[in-house]
Formats: sequence, structure tokens, C-alpha cells
Amino acid sequence: MGPVPSSHEVEDLAFPSIPAALEVIYTPDSIRRQGWHVWGTIISEFLNSRELIWRLILRDVAARYRQSMFGYLWAVLPSIVTVIVFAVLTQSRTIPVAETSLPYVAYALWSISVWQLFAGCLSVCTNSLVSASSLVSKVNFPKEALVMAAIGHPLLDFIIRLVLVAFVFIWYGVPFKAQMIFVPFILLPAILLAIGLSFVLSIINLVLRDIGNILGMALTFGMFLAPVLYPPPTTWPSTLINILNPLSPLLIASQDVIAYGSLSQPQAFLFSCLFSVFVFLVGWRLFRLTIYRVSTYA
Amino acid sequence: MPKDVLISVEHVSKKYCRSLKRSMLYGVYDVARDMFGLDGHNEQLRKTEFWAVNDVSFDVKRGECLGIIGPNGAGKSTLLKMLNGILLPDKGKIAIRGRVGALIELGAGFHPMLTGRENIYVNGAILGVRRKEMDRKFDDIVAFADLEDFIDSPVKFYSSGMYVRLGFAVSAHLNPDVLLIDEVLAVGDVAFRLKCFNHVRSLVESGSAIILVTHSQNDIARVCTRGIVLNHGKLLASESLAQAVRQYHELLQTLTKEARDQRDTPVRVKAVRTLDSQGMAARQFRSGEHVLVDIHYESKISVDDCVFVIKLASHELGEFVSFTNRVSGQKIPISVGSGSIIVRLRNVPLLGGNYIVQVHMYDEGTKTFWDQAVPACTFDIIEPDPEIWKEFHTLRIEHDWLINPRFSS
Repeated sequence: MGPVPSSHEVEDLAFPSIPAALEVIYTPDSIRRQGWHVWGTIISEFLNSRELIWRLILRDVAARYRQSMFGYLWAVLPSIVTVIVFAVLTQSRTIPVAETSLPYVAYALWSISVWQLFAGCLSVCTNSLVSASSLVSKVNFPKEALVMAAIGHPLLDFIIRLVLVAFVFIWYGVPFKAQMIFVPFILLPAILLAIGLSFVLSIINLVLRDIGNILGMALTFGMFLAPVLYPPPTTWPSTLINILNPLSPLLIASQDVIAYGSLSQPQAFLFSCLFSVFVFLVGWRLFRLTIYRVSTYA
Repeated sequence: MPKDVLISVEHVSKKYCRSLKRSMLYGVYDVARDMFGLDGHNEQLRKTEFWAVNDVSFDVKRGECLGIIGPNGAGKSTLLKMLNGILLPDKGKIAIRGRVGALIELGAGFHPMLTGRENIYVNGAILGVRRKEMDRKFDDIVAFADLEDFIDSPVKFYSSGMYVRLGFAVSAHLNPDVLLIDEVLAVGDVAFRLKCFNHVRSLVESGSAIILVTHSQNDIARVCTRGIVLNHGKLLASESLAQAVRQYHELLQTLTKEARDQRDTPVRVKAVRTLDSQGMAARQFRSGEHVLVDIHYESKISVDDCVFVIKLASHELGEFVSFTNRVSGQKIPISVGSGSIIVRLRNVPLLGGNYIVQVHMYDEGTKTFWDQAVPACTFDIIEPDPEIWKEFHTLRIEHDWLINPRFSS
């Protein structure tokens, strides 16, 4: 007869042991008191939630136009209407506009597509937590996935608009250049900027629902404060417009690449890229710091 | 932390704010402080704040199912949200080992436009399950939810029962080491509830640690191995499940008594207790004994024909029997001042368990409802061999077994 196992050993035989990685500890400070190595956790959590983000994107996209007759046509209709109105107004000189780098309709349609990509990401991401309030307040999962996944539908709308843009470019004889393959790299900072701002705005929106309304208003004005429906101004002080709206340098860069294949303001563009990445990273960190506190308000 | 402890809660507190305006103000202030890395002043209460959970400590081991009972607003759900990591405690420490599953809101995250099939995968991803694992479990989930015919319809066409069934099936099939359940077993039809309870029980047997939050003693009695009572955010110490249930009852009694004392009524049930056949106060009886219910009342008026209704309730069934002097035709007069009425329950045919007495009083003549004591008091029926009687409940029916009987027709 061998030694009688103690009660603990019996437990071990009965149940498989749990890896130490699966132990979590919650204290009031467990989020705040993490130094720089917090980025390791953030990145690994992000990698783990890739599938979740992808699923949420698929969910939004699949559900988006399911109960709608025109379906994906809604991705292009608003831009077409705006562009037609402004094309008529500028053609008839009701609103005088300087010479644009591309034929006006092509220029306006492209710019408005980029603007709507940015504005769409910003407003959908900002409202992502409020519109998923039961998830936020009742389920534990990386909530930044909700904010990040919200870009799915504005991004898809943008891609659909690209088809229209391509037709318009062909119609107006805009030559296709090899440099156009860089356009996605110009749009990426715009999306990061939108997500970064939304990280903070979505949190505040949970506590103060005014943010949604304020943002809607800001985006309407923001479109006119960026060279979307007119070319970038060249004389002081109206050149302020080229930097006042954080999106402007990126928008101008995309217009330049399409029209000339080169950048007219490389410094502004570079600064804008760095600014976007900075906003994105800071927003992400702030989001993780505060999400626990605000989930009660969802 | 010992190896078999999966949930350890040490001196955990969480505060809430009564006023929405102020809570928004505090919210913005706290968020701003967090953003700049300043200390959050978690430990002190500000104006209109209170401790929703106050210095709570307990452990849950493998193979245990802890029931948390308490009246509305006792802090049960807040505690569960902290255990699930949705909220951080303001004080104290929570340690959890293993994969955590939570049934806090079933079907949270279901998108109404998507089909059941699509929602199962989305919900799985939210709960942190990889697609491959989901593929393996898909058929089990659908079978458990009993939704084979509807799995490709959008969930907006589901009935609320179907919705909850799907939600439970997804969450419960993720083989959690730690499972947190908040009231959700109260929904669904009887058959599905039974299925849920059996599933929870099988998880307990396979070594999961489970916390079940409820205010139904039935649920507690059915699956829990241990119970604790939470009231105003504080934990009442209790050693056993039975003691916790009893404490909860006493709590409910005082709560309803406080509410009743504030009601303005001319006739009032003052106190109710049980006596044995010698007239001595007693709370434990053997099956088949007489149980005397001693009702003390207080009256500002005199009444010729007062009607008493006595109801008995059990944890398994709720109210299951009631009787009154109105049917027997016996008139009970009441005079001004206080007095007492005793109802003798003869040869009580109850099986072992804890039973709740409820007393209602009203005036037959004017049909005025005066007072009710719900619950008024509790008593136990003690079985000589409790192990056998665990599975059988309520009534002792006199019966015979006839083996291969032949009746001439």
C-alpha cells in the first residue's frame, strides 16, 4: 500500500489544473498603475481580438442593407446628390470656385468620398459604444474592438464609391497614374485619426450624450472648413483652412497624388501622419484607462 | 490562493451615485483624472454617493455553486459585474482563475437583422471563442436551444423565449471554469429551465466554480452548494445554505414588516409564530405532528366577522396551499386592542423542508383588505433520514404499492 494521497492531490487528479496565464486580478488600480509595458498587453490583446473585430465588421456589413430596397446604392447616392448640386452651382457661377486640379465633378466627388470616409468613421465609431450599450454594460470583452470594428461600414461604403469615382475619372479623362497605389497609405492615417478621436469621444459620449449631436454639427461645418468642394486656398489667411481641419493635409495629399503624382505640401502631410498616429495611440490608452469607469453609464 | 479556489474576493467595495446629474459630473471628473493618471479618490464617498457593495469577502472553490441571495438593490448584480471584470472595484481585490463565462444578459450583442446562425458566431467571438471551436460546438448549441427549424431566420422574428434560449445555449457551451449567472434562469419555460439547471449541475460536477445571483430561494435550493445573503451591499455571515436561506427570510420578514408598519390600517398582524401541541414556541416539527400558528393582532376597531387566510409556501413550489375560516363558516370576532388567534394545523402531512407561513386578514362584511404578513414566519419539518428525502418534496401522500395487481372487471 502506497501513501494515502492528501485531499489536495485528489483534487488535482480529479480536475485538470488551470494555467497561470488564466488568472486575473482586479483592484482599483489594476489599470492605472501600468507603466510603458502596458503596450505589450495592448498589442497582445489586440492580436487576440482580431477575429472578434472581423466578426463585428462582418456583422455590421451583413446587417446593414438587409432590410433595404436600394441596398448598397445608399453608399453612393448622397455623394452624387451633393456633387450634382455643387456642380450646377459652380458651373452657373452662383458660387465662384477657382480652377481645381482635376475636372470639378471628378475633384468634388473624390474629395467628398474621402471626407465621408473620415466623417463616417468618426461618427460611427463615436456612437459605437452607445449603440451597443447592453454589450458594454453586461459583457466582458475588449471593448475597443467595438470602436475599431465600426469602421467596417464607412470603409465598405467608400470602396463602393470608388467604383463610381473610377467611372467618373474615365468619363472626364483623368489619366490613371502608377502613383495612385499610394492613395491607401494616405487614407490610412485619416482612418487612424478618426479611430483615435473616437476612442476618447465614444467614452465621453457614454456619459454625456451631447457628444453625438455636437459631432454631427462639427462634421457638417468641418466639410466646408476643408478643401472638399473648392481647391485648397493659396492666399493668407484663407490658407489656414489647409491646416485648421486636421484632415485637410491628408485630403490635399490624396488630391495631389491623383492629379500630379506628387505632394505639394510634403511637410504638412508628414506632420499630419505623425499627428494621426499619436492621436490613435493616446486615444487607445485613454480608452483602456477609462472604459471600466464609464460602462455603468451605458 | 489555494489551488482549488477559483474565485477569491477580498474586502471588495463599490460605490454608486443616487443622482444622475451628479453621477455625470463625477463621471466626467473621474474620467479626466484617470486620463491624466491622477489618483481617483476611490475611497471616500462624495455627496449623494453610497456603497452599493460594502467590504464583501468570500471564496468559491472548484465544484462549488455559491448562491447569492438578497432583496432588490442589495448589490448582487454590481458584485457580479465586478467579478466579470466589467466594473473595477473601488476598494479591495478580486482574483479569478480560469476561463470565465457569464450569463448576465442573455443574447446581449445579438443583432436583430442577422440569423440565429450568424449570431451564434458573433456572440462566440465576443465571448472569446475561436471559429474552429465554435464550428465544433455549433450543433450542440442549436440542439440545446432547440432551434433547429429557426436557425436561419433573423433573430428579430424570434420569440423572447427563443432569444433567451439561444443566448443561454451559446454562453453555457463554452466550458467555463468560472460561471457567473445573474437571474437569467428565471426566464424560459419550465422544460428549458430544467435543462438549464441540469446543465449548471453538470458543470459543478465537472469542477467549475459557479456563482448564481437570484432572489428566488427555489433556484438556490435546486443547484447551490452554499449560500450567502447580501443586504445593502453588506454580506451577512452564514455557514450553510439552509442558514443563508433562513437569514434571507428573516430579512424579508423585517423588510415587509417595516413596509407594513408604515401602512395606515385599523387592523394589523403584529407577530406570528409557530407552537407545538403543548403551546410551547417551536420551529421544528416531525411530519404528521400538529403545528399551531399563533397570530397576534392589533386593532383600533371591533369587527364581528374577520376573515383570516393562511397560506403555506415552500422553496420548491412557492405558495402551494391555502385555507380560511370563511369556508368553514366560523366567525372570528375582533375587539379593540390586541389579541391572539391560534390556528391548529392537524397532523401536518408535509415532507422534510423549510416552509413559509403567510397570514392575510380582511373584513368579510365590507370586503376591506386589512393586512398581510408575507412571509409571517417559517418552520421546518425534520426528517429522520434527510439524505433520502432531499429529492422528494412537499406532501406526504398516504400510498400503497400494488405489485402486478389484478382487478376483476
